[in-house]
Amino acid sequence: MPAVPARETSAAWQPAALESVDGVNDVDPHKAFGSKSAPIVVEVFSDFQCPACKTLFLTTNRQLMDNYVTTGKVYLIHRDFPLPMHAYSRVAARYARAAAEIGKIELVEKTLFENQEKWEQSGDVDGTLAAVLSAADMAKIRALVKGGTLEPLIEKDVALGQMYRVNQTPTSVFHSKGQTYPYSGVMPYDTLHQFLDQLLSQK
Amino acid sequence: MQSSPLNFRRVIIWIGRLVLGCIFIYAGYAKIFLPNRNLWPFFILKFSISMNLSNFATQVEAFKLLPAWGVQFVAHALPFTEIILGLLVLIGWRLRIWAPVLTAIMLGFFAVVLRAYLLHMDINCGCFATPQPINLQKVLEDAALSGLALLMTIFAFKEARQPHPWSAPEKA
Repeated sequence: MPAVPARETSAAWQPAALESVDGVNDVDPHKAFGSKSAPIVVEVFSDFQCPACKTLFLTTNRQLMDNYVTTGKVYLIHRDFPLPMHAYSRVAARYARAAAEIGKIELVEKTLFENQEKWEQSGDVDGTLAAVLSAADMAKIRALVKGGTLEPLIEKDVALGQMYRVNQTPTSVFHSKGQTYPYSGVMPYDTLHQFLDQLLSQK
Repeated sequence: MQSSPLNFRRVIIWIGRLVLGCIFIYAGYAKIFLPNRNLWPFFILKFSISMNLSNFATQVEAFKLLPAWGVQFVAHALPFTEIILGLLVLIGWRLRIWAPVLTAIMLGFFAVVLRAYLLHMDINCGCFATPQPINLQKVLEDAALSGLALLMTIFAFKEARQPHPWSAPEKA
């Protein structure tokens, strides 16, 4: 459920203005899902080449989207945190950012994580995405990636992660009723479900 | 002839108790309380511990040695076992029971780390909460600690057979 519709790209393209949601700054609306008035905001710092991030995305976060994001209880923000140890994660982050700008973030995230083992060997992020996107979409994405305007946005997410002392991926930062709770690792959905319900029931 | 109260065997037993006891306590503590340390209110603490044990389960699973139920059993039992065993060895209570148990666990750690190293598995050892790659240094560390545990156990039994004159019952 992309929160913001796609935009047309052009030579004078500029990144989307970053917003502030419930005290959380620098939110790129193209990489956030759900209602901005949700009582819980979750920022997920993720690396496309990290196996644990893949597990989180393909298991827990799918159920989180279905049961909490689409029902307006959680506003989910994807943050890029490419680790230096992964050779192609920054390239993947650039492509995902570009895809977000044209409204294809969900498909691109899914494709990158599901095919992680393939492109992490060859570094062929472009080819992996070209197999699932139309030629027109790929042309727009390539233009955005080459434009160089996405790198400062990725750096901004990394800096934000460092502020939260993120040192591994995935790390999820929960914001609820003025409190912030960072958690590293892949949380099983059953555990997360209990945790979110407790946060929601807090007065 | 009286022996010195600090002979070689006793020094090794003391070093073994101190080093292995502390390492086991810290290893168990780290698996339960790190990296997620949000402690209050209670449901937050519960979630922190669940998350940490879940992270540890992922690391255990990466060794590809156990079925799913075995991974969950080890992930939930080992950290608490390490703390209890570390405390028992550190205080030295019933050392001839707990030192062999600790040694068996230590040799088990060494065996799985060595296997992962020889198979070139690109995984974290899961020894403590911080990510640590399995490399030659880690294998040597585990070998040294296993050696120390083994010596401590052997010497603990030898000491029991030849008690120090100060603590031995007086001959009639």
